[in-house]
Amino acid sequence: MTSPAQGSSKSAPMPRFKTELRKAIRRNAAEPEVNFLNITAMLDMMTIILVFLLKSLGESSASVPQNDDLRLPKSIVQAQPSEEGVVVTVSKSQLLVGDKKVLELPGRESLAQTGVGAQEKRSGPNDVYIVKLGNALQSARKLDRKVREAKGLDASTSEAIIVADGSTPYRLLIEVLFTLGSSEFGKYHLMVMQGKEIPH
Amino acid sequence: MEESYSLSAAQRAKIRRLSAQQELSPDEEGGELNIIPFLDIITNILIFVLATIAVTFTATIDTTPPSSGGKGVRKDIQSTALNLTILIVNDGFSIKAAGGNVAPGCTGPGVGIAIPKKSGQFDYEALNACASKLKSASPDFADENQFYVTANPGTDYQTIISVIDALRVDMRDKSKTLFTDVAFKVPL
Repeated sequence: MTSPAQGSSKSAPMPRFKTELRKAIRRNAAEPEVNFLNITAMLDMMTIILVFLLKSLGESSASVPQNDDLRLPKSIVQAQPSEEGVVVTVSKSQLLVGDKKVLELPGRESLAQTGVGAQEKRSGPNDVYIVKLGNALQSARKLDRKVREAKGLDASTSEAIIVADGSTPYRLLIEVLFTLGSSEFGKYHLMVMQGKEIPH
Repeated sequence: MEESYSLSAAQRAKIRRLSAQQELSPDEEGGELNIIPFLDIITNILIFVLATIAVTFTATIDTTPPSSGGKGVRKDIQSTALNLTILIVNDGFSIKAAGGNVAPGCTGPGVGIAIPKKSGQFDYEALNACASKLKSASPDFADENQFYVTANPGTDYQTIISVIDALRVDMRDKSKTLFTDVAFKVPL
């Protein structure tokens, strides 16, 4: 085993060899490249924001999906939506208490004349008390009373959030409000979409 | 002399071998998880959620049971009160107040539609002006914030809400509050 400087008379001496080796190493050295961007911190942040938004949106009763069957009326009211109360939804086709469907609604013409129909009333077409809605509200009221007592709130009456389509006829609205009043619901929050001006 | 300083073939080969960049074996490399597709999904969901929130800015209008039934939660109004009642009919707004029915044009007591439709549409500006005029008619009405609404059975809920909005504040003087509490009446 001979050193390069000693190998032959044509071999360069050791200092020359080392110089050439250093030059070659410098020449071949690659620029430090960024193989990947470290986005872990940003990913953490975005995931936290996403989870927070989904949680707050899911828990809020103010989150109302807008579709052809249910489109809230617009209002210039800027107050924060109340989240206290049993949600009663009146869409174009059905009536719900919470997530539970109570009644299929007839067409708008029929609703405007006699409301939900005589067969759903207590005493004929001129009555404004909807029996099925009243039954559903009574069980909701029982639960709400316990919740209000546990929270230390006034349990003598309950509150309701009315989520109704903008085209709901006044007749049906009154029937729903009257039935709520008869089921010990003493305060209602009519949910609306915020707008800049009064729509004509 | 010149020849003795040039590199030999063996020296050049060794320089090539030593100066070549060494590839790291997969074990030494420290593998990175490719999270870019996941990040894409997260970003898309985030944008979707933000866009959805933007269309659901809601508010609530508080009210009490309609006057034909329910529990007695409505405020008692004195006989000297204005007792403003708006009746929404197909031709416009009929208004009733302490002095009786309001005449067309909101000029005083009289029969007819107080605020008729304008170009086939409800005239909320005129309704607002009339309510403001009626409220300022007597100092007794200054603290009265409640009004009643009733309507034809087929009237849209949106129209009811627009009437409530029109009576909330004076459109010409936004600092002047008119009627903020609404109560519904059952149509006969």
